[in-house]
Amino acid sequence: MTLLFLALAWLAGFSLLRFLFPVPLRVSLHNLWLLSLGAGVGIGMASSLYFLTMALAGPNIVVLAAVEGIFLVAAVVLALRAKPRAAALDWANGPEFPWYLTALFLAGAALAAILFVTHSAAKPHGEWDAWSIWNLRARFLYRGGELWKNAFSTQIAWSHPDYPLLVPGIIALCWTLAHGESTLAPIGVAFLFTFGAAGVLISVVGILRGKAQGLIAGALLLGTVGFVAIGAMQYADVPLGFAILATLALLCLEDRYPGDLRFPILAGLTAGFAAWTKNEGLMFVLAILVARAVAILRYGNRTNLRRQLGALAGGLAFPLATVAFFKLRFAPPNDLTATAPREMLTHLVDFGRWITVLEGFVKAVFGLGDFLLPIAVLLALYAYLVRFHSAAEDRVPLATVLAALGVMVAGDLAVYVLLPNDVNWQVTTSVDRLVLQIWPAALLAFFLAANAPQLAAKPKVAEKSKPARHPVKSHRRAAG
Amino acid sequence: MLLAVALASTFWVLLDIAGEFSKNSASFGVPSYENRFTELRKTVTPRSVFGYTSDNPPNDPVDQAEFYLAQYTLAPAIVTTSVQEPLVIANFHAANPDPALFQARRLTPVQNFGNGVVLCRPQNPR
Repeated sequence: MTLLFLALAWLAGFSLLRFLFPVPLRVSLHNLWLLSLGAGVGIGMASSLYFLTMALAGPNIVVLAAVEGIFLVAAVVLALRAKPRAAALDWANGPEFPWYLTALFLAGAALAAILFVTHSAAKPHGEWDAWSIWNLRARFLYRGGELWKNAFSTQIAWSHPDYPLLVPGIIALCWTLAHGESTLAPIGVAFLFTFGAAGVLISVVGILRGKAQGLIAGALLLGTVGFVAIGAMQYADVPLGFAILATLALLCLEDRYPGDLRFPILAGLTAGFAAWTKNEGLMFVLAILVARAVAILRYGNRTNLRRQLGALAGGLAFPLATVAFFKLRFAPPNDLTATAPREMLTHLVDFGRWITVLEGFVKAVFGLGDFLLPIAVLLALYAYLVRFHSAAEDRVPLATVLAALGVMVAGDLAVYVLLPNDVNWQVTTSVDRLVLQIWPAALLAFFLAANAPQLAAKPKVAEKSKPARHPVKSHRRAAG
Repeated sequence: MLLAVALASTFWVLLDIAGEFSKNSASFGVPSYENRFTELRKTVTPRSVFGYTSDNPPNDPVDQAEFYLAQYTLAPAIVTTSVQEPLVIANFHAANPDPALFQARRLTPVQNFGNGVVLCRPQNPR
């Protein structure tokens, strides 16, 4: 039963997206994109509605079921009534992807699934952060009854009761509706976000760069052992990574189909869900607004700026209002806001803290994902072989992704330096996860910038007419 | 090459996990704590607030993990690290703890739930 309610949240998210981007229901890249993105959107909406219902009506299962049911039915009805009115998003033209690489991709995906299942079977309650923060909060919400607000008690300040509730909210919702606790809820949520992120990456890189690039990017994400393992450990870093990737990917699609405001509105919604997932998500909201403004002002059409930011703000409104309500009415102060400005200043001028943090970041980048060889070196080699090339039309999306990730890294660095805790311990226990949060979006940027690999010898005829980098131009405005 | 390295890395870690699976780690982790606190859990309500103490050496990382696991297991009761709450959970590793351990913490045992889990009252409550 627990998984059924999670599946219904997913269905609601998929339906909402199908209403916005309707295409026939059949196996297609477009539907892979909707299904992958729909997991995050559905869970984000269901979790937000759960919290708002609890806050406004108390732990009343009838009201809760009615609110969630109305959302589901409305989304499904809208999806069923939507008529396909534009061409489906499809693979961009690119080099053929040989069968043996397809087999390698499928083997990688299967191994990732086995890794996830094995890990989840061994640790069904997840690892440290899962049972000391996320699932603990879900238990308080579900088991607490009228005293559900104990989840935010300062008596358990060590469990970070100020952290937002996307993950605990959806887990507690599934348990409430199913009338029972099951570890299948957190495992299912973790599965959807881990493999949903791969689906979003494959589909968006595939739409923008072709099948070869899309599948290589997806295989690399699923082959990132650290990412799949952290997902299976039920940490919120993977859901946050999903939201960061989804937001930036939507903005990249918006640049491919200019003037289509569905993309930035949806990007605002997913950015808001990032803020509803972890406190770093709030920084991401700021990062995305700054990055988008900088990218458009530097490389894009400046007259679009207000419209773009307005659309983003429109999408942000609901989740950000939920976060604000939670932070202002329920959450106790967090580590950073509770730190005295004087102490922050002392940390800021402590050169040793900067070195510790920078060293931690560099180590985390080279050790990222537990690859047998450092993935940063392998990607550098790959980039040397295929070369980067940024066409004029790709500069706005690339600049958006890179600037947003740059602001995130700078922000994370600043938080480490300013935080009151022992910086050594803080860096050792979390910096690798911060890098994993931005890893899916970093892969998006990498494969947007990299040329497609030539996977087979070109036929002689083809050599004469150099293939266009974006042979999908004729299709560009089709979804508009 | 990228795909091959990714594949090999995943396979390598899977071997590690399979090895871990085969080890016996029943004494620590959520399931063992759920069992350990089974009887005590039956008595908790959302209004319960417990103090907590253990016989782990100070600054032992295991102590923190065990405290977190106790809180996770006993939620929605709140568990604090204080020994001044009206009721304190003593989480000891011996099935029949040494009475000196209670005396050293100025605690009076109230109910023994077995497995070294004893509910106590502080001798000088705040």
